[in-house]
Amino acid sequence: MNNKLKVLRAMRNWSQAELADRLDVSRQAVNAIETGKYDPSLPLAFKLARLFHMPIEEIFDDGFEGSNDD
Amino acid sequence: MTVLKEAMMTEVATSKAPRRASPRQRRYRFALGFAAVLGGIIGGWMVADQPAGRDGVEAAFHGSLSAGFAIGASLFWAVGLAISMTIYHRAIDDHEERAWLWAGLAGWYAFIVPAPVWWVLNRADLAPPADTMLLFLFSMVVNAIVWMWLKFR
Repeated sequence: MNNKLKVLRAMRNWSQAELADRLDVSRQAVNAIETGKYDPSLPLAFKLARLFHMPIEEIFDDGFEGSNDD
Repeated sequence: MTVLKEAMMTEVATSKAPRRASPRQRRYRFALGFAAVLGGIIGGWMVADQPAGRDGVEAAFHGSLSAGFAIGASLFWAVGLAISMTIYHRAIDDHEERAWLWAGLAGWYAFIVPAPVWWVLNRADLAPPADTMLLFLFSMVVNAIVWMWLKFR
Protein backbone atom coordinates (compact mmCIF):
# COMPACT_ATOMS: atom_id res chain seq x y z
CA MET A 1 0.00 0.00 0.00
CA ASN A 2 1.33 3.44 -0.94
CA ASN A 3 1.63 6.12 1.74
CA LYS A 4 2.87 9.66 2.29
CA LEU A 5 4.70 8.93 5.51
CA LYS A 6 8.15 9.85 4.23
CA VAL A 7 6.92 13.19 2.89
CA LEU A 8 4.95 14.01 6.05
CA ARG A 9 7.99 13.13 8.15
CA ALA A 10 10.25 15.31 6.01
CA MET A 11 7.87 18.25 6.30
CA ARG A 12 8.35 18.09 10.06
CA ASN A 13 12.09 17.55 9.78
CA TRP A 14 11.87 14.29 11.76
CA SER A 15 14.20 11.35 11.37
CA GLN A 16 12.82 7.82 11.20
CA ALA A 17 14.03 7.30 14.76
CA GLU A 18 12.21 10.43 15.97
CA LEU A 19 8.98 9.35 14.32
CA ALA A 20 9.43 5.87 15.78
CA ASP A 21 9.81 7.41 19.25
CA ARG A 22 6.64 9.45 18.81
CA LEU A 23 4.74 6.33 17.77
CA ASP A 24 6.53 4.13 20.33
CA VAL A 25 7.54 1.61 17.68
CA SER A 26 10.93 0.53 16.38
CA ARG A 27 12.79 2.45 13.66
CA GLN A 28 12.57 -0.69 11.53
CA ALA A 29 8.77 -0.47 11.73
CA VAL A 30 8.78 3.12 10.40
CA ASN A 31 11.18 2.16 7.64
CA ALA A 32 9.08 -0.87 6.66
CA ILE A 33 5.92 1.26 6.47
CA GLU A 34 7.64 3.99 4.44
CA THR A 35 9.04 1.51 1.93
CA GLY A 36 5.70 -0.28 1.60
CA LYS A 37 7.01 -3.56 2.97
CA TYR A 38 4.58 -3.54 5.86
CA ASP A 39 1.06 -2.17 6.25
CA PRO A 40 0.44 -0.98 9.81
CA SER A 41 -2.36 -2.33 11.98
CA LEU A 42 -5.50 -0.22 12.35
CA PRO A 43 -4.49 1.07 15.84
CA LEU A 44 -1.09 2.17 14.50
CA ALA A 45 -2.71 3.77 11.43
CA PHE A 46 -5.00 5.75 13.77
CA LYS A 47 -1.98 6.76 15.84
CA LEU A 48 -0.30 8.05 12.68
CA ALA A 49 -3.44 9.91 11.67
CA ARG A 50 -3.65 11.60 15.09
CA LEU A 51 0.05 12.47 15.02
CA PHE A 52 -0.18 14.15 11.60
CA HIS A 53 -3.71 15.53 12.17
CA MET A 54 -4.95 13.90 8.96
CA PRO A 55 -7.53 11.25 8.07
CA ILE A 56 -6.07 7.78 7.51
CA GLU A 57 -7.07 7.77 3.84
CA GLU A 58 -5.00 10.90 3.23
CA ILE A 59 -1.89 9.17 4.54
CA PHE A 60 -2.49 5.74 2.98
CA ASP A 61 -3.61 4.97 -0.55
CA ASP A 62 -4.86 1.47 -1.36
CA GLY A 63 -5.15 2.30 -5.05
CA PHE A 64 -8.95 2.02 -5.08
CA GLU A 65 -10.43 4.44 -7.63
CA GLY A 66 -14.08 3.37 -7.81
CA SER A 67 -17.00 4.85 -5.90
CA ASN A 68 -17.93 3.75 -2.39
CA ASP A 69 -20.94 1.90 -3.83
CA ASP A 70 -18.69 -0.52 -5.78
CA MET B 1 11.79 15.14 -4.62
CA THR B 2 13.36 17.92 -2.55
CA VAL B 3 11.23 16.91 0.41
CA LEU B 4 12.34 13.29 0.03
CA LYS B 5 15.99 14.34 -0.11
CA GLU B 6 15.48 16.35 3.06
CA ALA B 7 13.95 13.30 4.69
CA MET B 8 17.02 11.22 3.89
CA MET B 9 19.39 13.97 5.05
CA THR B 10 17.43 14.41 8.25
CA GLU B 11 17.73 10.70 8.88
CA VAL B 12 21.53 10.91 8.65
CA ALA B 13 21.80 14.17 10.57
CA THR B 14 19.65 13.30 13.56
CA SER B 15 19.87 9.55 13.90
CA LYS B 16 22.84 9.77 16.28
CA ALA B 17 21.10 11.94 18.87
CA PRO B 18 20.67 10.05 22.17
CA ARG B 19 17.07 9.34 23.18
CA ARG B 20 15.43 8.18 26.34
CA ALA B 21 13.98 4.72 26.00
CA SER B 22 10.21 4.43 26.39
CA PRO B 23 8.76 1.95 28.93
CA ARG B 24 7.99 -0.37 26.00
CA GLN B 25 11.62 -0.20 24.81
CA ARG B 26 12.88 -0.84 28.33
CA ARG B 27 10.63 -3.90 28.65
CA TYR B 28 11.86 -5.10 25.25
CA ARG B 29 15.53 -4.76 26.21
CA PHE B 30 14.90 -6.41 29.56
CA ALA B 31 13.22 -9.41 27.88
CA LEU B 32 16.13 -9.87 25.46
CA GLY B 33 18.73 -9.33 28.20
CA PHE B 34 16.96 -11.75 30.52
CA ALA B 35 16.89 -14.44 27.79
CA ALA B 36 20.58 -13.86 27.03
CA VAL B 37 21.57 -14.16 30.70
CA LEU B 38 19.46 -17.31 30.98
CA GLY B 39 21.19 -18.84 27.94
CA GLY B 40 24.57 -17.87 29.36
CA ILE B 41 23.81 -19.51 32.71
CA ILE B 42 22.59 -22.75 31.09
CA GLY B 43 25.59 -22.82 28.70
CA GLY B 44 28.11 -22.06 31.44
CA TRP B 45 26.56 -24.63 33.77
CA MET B 46 26.60 -27.25 30.99
CA VAL B 47 30.32 -26.68 30.37
CA ALA B 48 31.07 -26.83 34.11
CA ASP B 49 29.03 -30.03 34.39
CA GLN B 50 31.18 -31.91 31.84
CA PRO B 51 33.99 -34.24 32.90
CA ALA B 52 37.49 -33.03 32.01
CA GLY B 53 38.77 -33.96 28.55
CA ARG B 54 35.40 -34.29 26.80
CA ASP B 55 35.37 -32.46 23.46
CA GLY B 56 32.95 -29.59 22.74
CA VAL B 57 30.72 -31.34 20.19
CA GLU B 58 30.24 -34.37 22.41
CA ALA B 59 29.58 -32.13 25.40
CA ALA B 60 26.97 -30.09 23.53
CA PHE B 61 25.10 -32.85 21.68
CA HIS B 62 25.84 -36.41 22.77
CA GLY B 63 27.56 -36.73 26.13
CA SER B 64 25.72 -37.79 29.26
CA LEU B 65 24.63 -35.10 31.70
CA SER B 66 24.29 -35.14 35.47
CA ALA B 67 20.76 -35.38 36.88
CA GLY B 68 21.29 -32.11 38.76
CA PHE B 69 22.14 -30.19 35.61
CA ALA B 70 19.36 -31.83 33.58
CA ILE B 71 16.68 -30.93 36.13
CA GLY B 72 18.09 -27.46 36.78
CA ALA B 73 18.52 -26.57 33.09
CA SER B 74 15.04 -27.88 32.28
CA LEU B 75 13.53 -25.67 34.97
CA PHE B 76 15.60 -22.67 33.87
CA TRP B 77 14.53 -23.21 30.26
CA ALA B 78 10.83 -23.78 30.91
CA VAL B 79 10.27 -21.11 33.55
CA GLY B 80 12.80 -18.59 32.23
CA LEU B 81 11.58 -18.83 28.66
CA ALA B 82 7.96 -18.45 29.75
CA ILE B 83 8.85 -15.29 31.72
CA SER B 84 11.05 -13.70 29.05
CA MET B 85 8.64 -14.50 26.21
CA THR B 86 5.70 -13.07 28.16
CA ILE B 87 7.61 -9.82 28.66
CA TYR B 88 8.80 -9.88 25.04
CA HIS B 89 5.32 -10.29 23.58
CA ARG B 90 3.99 -7.48 25.76
CA ALA B 91 6.82 -5.21 24.58
CA ILE B 92 7.08 -5.75 20.83
CA ASP B 93 5.44 -3.42 18.31
CA ASP B 94 3.06 -4.33 15.46
CA HIS B 95 5.82 -4.81 12.95
CA GLU B 96 7.82 -7.22 15.09
CA GLU B 97 4.69 -9.08 16.14
CA ARG B 98 3.89 -9.73 12.49
CA ALA B 99 7.50 -10.86 11.88
CA TRP B 100 7.24 -13.16 14.89
CA LEU B 101 3.93 -14.69 13.78
CA TRP B 102 5.18 -15.49 10.26
CA ALA B 103 8.51 -16.74 11.63
CA GLY B 104 6.64 -18.97 14.07
CA LEU B 105 4.51 -20.38 11.26
CA ALA B 106 7.57 -21.00 9.10
CA GLY B 107 9.29 -22.73 12.02
CA TRP B 108 6.20 -24.87 12.56
CA TYR B 109 6.17 -25.95 8.90
CA ALA B 110 9.90 -26.67 9.16
CA PHE B 111 8.95 -29.20 11.84
CA ILE B 112 5.72 -30.77 10.56
CA VAL B 113 7.04 -31.39 7.05
CA PRO B 114 10.28 -33.29 7.81
CA ALA B 115 9.26 -35.02 11.07
CA PRO B 116 6.73 -37.55 9.64
CA VAL B 117 8.89 -38.06 6.54
CA TRP B 118 11.88 -38.99 8.69
CA TRP B 119 9.70 -41.20 10.91
CA VAL B 120 8.21 -43.29 8.07
CA LEU B 121 11.59 -43.54 6.31
CA ASN B 122 13.06 -44.90 9.55
CA ARG B 123 10.26 -47.46 9.90
CA ALA B 124 11.16 -48.73 6.43
CA ASP B 125 14.85 -48.88 7.43
CA LEU B 126 15.66 -46.14 4.92
CA ALA B 127 16.86 -43.59 7.51
CA PRO B 128 18.30 -43.56 11.05
CA PRO B 129 15.87 -42.93 13.94
CA ALA B 130 14.38 -39.43 13.94
CA ASP B 131 16.51 -37.00 15.96
CA THR B 132 14.21 -34.69 17.92
CA MET B 133 16.90 -32.11 18.67
CA LEU B 134 17.96 -31.92 15.03
CA LEU B 135 14.34 -31.23 14.05
CA PHE B 136 14.08 -28.66 16.84
CA LEU B 137 17.27 -26.90 15.70
CA PHE B 138 16.13 -26.89 12.06
CA SER B 139 12.80 -25.37 13.10
CA MET B 140 14.59 -22.71 15.20
CA VAL B 141 16.98 -21.81 12.36
CA VAL B 142 14.09 -21.37 9.91
CA ASN B 143 12.24 -19.32 12.55
CA ALA B 144 15.26 -17.05 13.10
CA ILE B 145 15.92 -16.52 9.38
CA VAL B 146 12.31 -15.55 8.62
CA TRP B 147 12.12 -13.31 11.71
CA MET B 148 15.31 -11.43 10.78
CA TRP B 149 14.28 -11.10 7.15
CA LEU B 150 10.88 -9.61 8.03
CA LYS B 151 12.25 -7.32 10.73
CA PHE B 152 15.42 -6.00 9.10
CA ARG B 153 14.98 -6.25 5.31
